[in-house]
Amino acid sequence: MSEKPVTGERRVFMTGNEVCAWAALAAEADIMYGYPITPQTDIMQYWTRLAPKFGRKFLQTEDEISAGFTTIGGVLAGKRAFSATTGPGNVLFQEPMSMAEMMRIPTVVIIPQRGGPSTATVIYSQQEVTMTAFGGNGEGFRIVYSTAGHQDLYDYTIKAFNTAWKYRFPTFVLGDGYQAKMREPLTIYDPAQRGIQMVKTEPLVGLEGTPGRDRPTQYLRNTYNTEEELYEVVMEIARDFEKAAPEIVEWQDFDTDKEMDVLILAHGVVSRSAQGALPLLREQGIRAGHFRPITLRPMPEEQMRRAAAKAKRILVVESAYGQLLKLVQQSLYGLAKPIDTLLRPGAGVTAEEIADQVKEGR
Amino acid sequence: MRVVEAFIGEYASGKSENAINRSLELLELGHQVTLADLDTVEPFYTLRPLKKSLEAAGLKVIAWSPEQTMGLGEAGTLLNQEMIWALKNQGSIVLDVGYGVHGAKIFNLIEGAETDPDLKVFAVVSAARPMTATKEDIVGYIRELGRVDGLINNTHLGSETTRKTIEEGAVIVTAAARELGLPVVYTAVLKELAPDFPNRDKMGNPVKFIRRFMPQAFW
Amino acid sequence: MTREKIALSPAMPKCWNPETKPHKFCPGCGHGLALKMLGEAIDELDIQDRVIFGCDIGCSLLSWDFFNVDSVQTHHGRTTPVITGIKRARPELIGIAYMGDGGGYAIGAQHLVNSATRNEKVTAILINNTNYGMTGGQMAPTTLPGQKTETTPYGRDPEETGYPTLGPEMVAAIAKEGAYVARGSIANLRQLKKFLKKAIQNQVDGNGFSFVEVVSSCPTNWRTNAEATWSFVEKDMAEYFHVGEFKVPGQKEEK
Repeated sequence: MSEKPVTGERRVFMTGNEVCAWAALAAEADIMYGYPITPQTDIMQYWTRLAPKFGRKFLQTEDEISAGFTTIGGVLAGKRAFSATTGPGNVLFQEPMSMAEMMRIPTVVIIPQRGGPSTATVIYSQQEVTMTAFGGNGEGFRIVYSTAGHQDLYDYTIKAFNTAWKYRFPTFVLGDGYQAKMREPLTIYDPAQRGIQMVKTEPLVGLEGTPGRDRPTQYLRNTYNTEEELYEVVMEIARDFEKAAPEIVEWQDFDTDKEMDVLILAHGVVSRSAQGALPLLREQGIRAGHFRPITLRPMPEEQMRRAAAKAKRILVVESAYGQLLKLVQQSLYGLAKPIDTLLRPGAGVTAEEIADQVKEGR
Repeated sequence: MRVVEAFIGEYASGKSENAINRSLELLELGHQVTLADLDTVEPFYTLRPLKKSLEAAGLKVIAWSPEQTMGLGEAGTLLNQEMIWALKNQGSIVLDVGYGVHGAKIFNLIEGAETDPDLKVFAVVSAARPMTATKEDIVGYIRELGRVDGLINNTHLGSETTRKTIEEGAVIVTAAARELGLPVVYTAVLKELAPDFPNRDKMGNPVKFIRRFMPQAFW
Repeated sequence: MTREKIALSPAMPKCWNPETKPHKFCPGCGHGLALKMLGEAIDELDIQDRVIFGCDIGCSLLSWDFFNVDSVQTHHGRTTPVITGIKRARPELIGIAYMGDGGGYAIGAQHLVNSATRNEKVTAILINNTNYGMTGGQMAPTTLPGQKTETTPYGRDPEETGYPTLGPEMVAAIAKEGAYVARGSIANLRQLKKFLKKAIQNQVDGNGFSFVEVVSSCPTNWRTNAEATWSFVEKDMAEYFHVGEFKVPGQKEEK
């Protein structure tokens, strides 16, 4: 058995994609399957350099459809299997991920979002929120963590494996091209030393003993013939998802404990700009707060409503044309608050731009 | 007397409707009746929702029931032994045959179809369907089907059907039948239109009043 | 002759799941024969507790609870990657991907080609019945020229839609040493079983990719009686789809 890739705790400085590879190693991921696409490829490149040293495996597939289905195969075999993709690759991933939803297969996929639609840019965007949370022909029974920086990428990549295997829903770490390529310091650690136990994996096929004699044979289905049968299956998944949601949701809030002139709603790396805008606004006598959903699916609706109730106005900021906005509108339905927006599809947002938008919106 | 009739036709031509009506009619006349669904293109959908109520009425129904379809895939082109041996049932038999490019070749799969002395194959034709809207189209279509012993004029527009719709269809279907040397077995008329309709259509074909069942089916 | 042999065959293979028999295929369908041979091959190799059986969408799906071996339904065309993923993660298992001609040669062709190129140590079995059976008999990559299907109502015109895919020939051309490639037929079950057995043994030995196409029947969609069914398999199909081994590890190729 190879030694642990990360021991103790260490302050390090590296790119976001490298962080993901290290986090997967620290999380005891067994195998990665993937197809190259910018800006995700470095995750594979670091993984392929590091994995053999620690007895882990890799397969480069013929496309993202295959990457998704081989990842499913790895999980079925009882291994902590993962992949990474983005943009048009994420589009192709929706087919295997819909199978993972139906069959409760705990896949983990890291998505450093790039611009869309189509091939678009290979740099940065937040335009894969709807697809990652709700893509596929189903109800979006998935878990999506939106990260804001390197520490998040490390923490939530590790966490994604545990959430996936504990609740048995496909789980995504939704980053972006900036986080993938930028460098910043973070602390990497051995999860065990922080008291994080990796949830035990188990095979769904290839169990011990002769099937039909020593144990029941595993017959894993995703095809149903009647409305009645499908309805039962989907409703059971829905109940499990609803039940797990309160345990899964995560969020951060800033200066939301008292009455606010404006509550800024943003996720991912844009949250960092929102945090930066708060002191700028305070200087000008504007009482601003910020709420950041970390899980976009399930959404921390209650917590968001609680914060929003204390604000006169809401400002939704995102690097997309209304994908977070839709989720916010749904979460805040019935709360009579005006919603302003700063929507910049495929483009970054600075703290100053957010502060200016707040002033304009008043 | 044993009656064995097969209703063949395109989607929405009304073959299932006519097959069900004919089965119930035979039942009322005191026959023991088996109704078999031999639609191989969408077999699970046509008679499935109706199966129980038809059985309650006294028909023997050979069709997939929801319980039997467990694990059979998304649509399922499947024949089972019961279907293949359908003609060996006691009493009278009505076959509801699906559409498809192979037409009446379906009878290659049914045991005893070639030699059954009583078997009659009726093509259900609706001139309201664009592909069978003219005499020429109907003649071409029937010749493609293979064995056909008679036509049924089932020209209709669903709930918008009027006497005019049916009579216009009768003219076209009858012209086609004459060219093919086949009889028009009857013109089907919805029961709701009965007060308007004489016992023969304007071409002199007998009229049969039918009830609609398919709104309770999927299609 | 062939049919008599089947009728006289002894009891069901040990690895079959008796609770799901009689199976779900139409009478006269070749799937049942191919799966019987596969079952006997699994028994004779004594690997029941190591086999993972993946089945494609289409009529292949009806085999999902056919064996007492762990089985997984996949998506249309995606059985090869699912089984590949399992095999890569747990090389001690024996992965069998079971699919139709649509799944292997059309929607999942890239997976078949690339698994062969990478020499994945899995066994792919493909049933060629010249049409899409489950959806009611549409044209498949293997439909014969002139053959009528629901989407070639005037017969398949090679000018418009090309010629039947020759799968084993293609796989043999791209696979390298270690691969096993063959085409068997339900008209010769003894030979078919031999091919299937070798294809699995090749994986057990860790040599490389194994692929067997099975020339099969679909009387329901062909609308053929028993006689016409066998004639189509043994004459019409045999003309296009030549039975035999196309690649055997350790054997020099005859070109």
